[in-house]
Amino acid sequence: MLDRKHVGRSYGPFLYEAGAEKMREFAFAIAGDVPSPVYTDTPADVLPRDYWDRDFAKARHGSLVAPPTFCVNFAMKPFFAAITDREVGVDFLLLVHGEQEFEFLRPVRPGDVLSTTGVIADICEKNEKDFLVVRTTTVDAAGREVVKAVWTAVIRRA
Amino acid sequence: MAAHGAPGVAQRGVGMAVQPSEIRPGAEFFLERTCEKTTPVYYAAAGGDFNPIHIDPEVGRAAGLGGPILQGMCTFAWAVEAAVAYVGDPTRVTKVKARFTRPVLIGDTVRIRGRVLSVEGGRMTAELAAVNQRGEDVMRNGIVECRTGEGA
Repeated sequence: MLDRKHVGRSYGPFLYEAGAEKMREFAFAIAGDVPSPVYTDTPADVLPRDYWDRDFAKARHGSLVAPPTFCVNFAMKPFFAAITDREVGVDFLLLVHGEQEFEFLRPVRPGDVLSTTGVIADICEKNEKDFLVVRTTTVDAAGREVVKAVWTAVIRRA
Repeated sequence: MAAHGAPGVAQRGVGMAVQPSEIRPGAEFFLERTCEKTTPVYYAAAGGDFNPIHIDPEVGRAAGLGGPILQGMCTFAWAVEAAVAYVGDPTRVTKVKARFTRPVLIGDTVRIRGRVLSVEGGRMTAELAAVNQRGEDVMRNGIVECRTGEGA
């Protein structure tokens, strides 16, 4: 079982620069298509124009915007750092994602330079399983909050 | 386009969002997606989660999961997109949370169901759940909060 002494351990800051094509590819993937401009013709019937149509998105939002959960690409980094931290000692094969929480404070746009930090907020045991909770905060270059998240890993017993 | 779900199930696209005045308690929204053999790999490429339990069938089996499982965050993305399609604007989603209760395996079809709980001051709160084709919960205790666009 995991040692509670790791509560408070922090990770980051990790930098991420958001790009338009990566945002589009993420949108394709969650719409059920290949995350590639080579393989995918934009599935306009199922995919909000806000994610791929430059002119539409510019008129509506000032630029393309990322799908809200695109933030996994940067906000997950401290969570990943925690579950692969040898000191903490999580067995990757026994781990599943248990719970997730996001607060979106502003949309992610191409060119955003984002900085994410995270901290182990809790370690506990329930029903013979270990729970590891990581809280992350992502800010933009001006220091304004972009996404706050709570990631909960559940580690089964071998 | 089979990956986009069965016809008749709301695959709301552009211009198919409801009007803010139609968002009221009890209103429901749905989205259906199938986890094809390639879905976890494509999601890994797009979202960055290359944990071998999602990619390598042998590792998925070794982990006792019966094969590769879909990233919980992909199911979560589908749930958030159901809300985006319903309110008609991705920037209106402000908060979301959920619990993953069962792995989604290759070949599973996931049906997201949202149900509006309350609407007040231009904001709505809806519950979110997801079941597989056998009706088993894969995601529950989901809550999403959005601006409705009313008065925007």
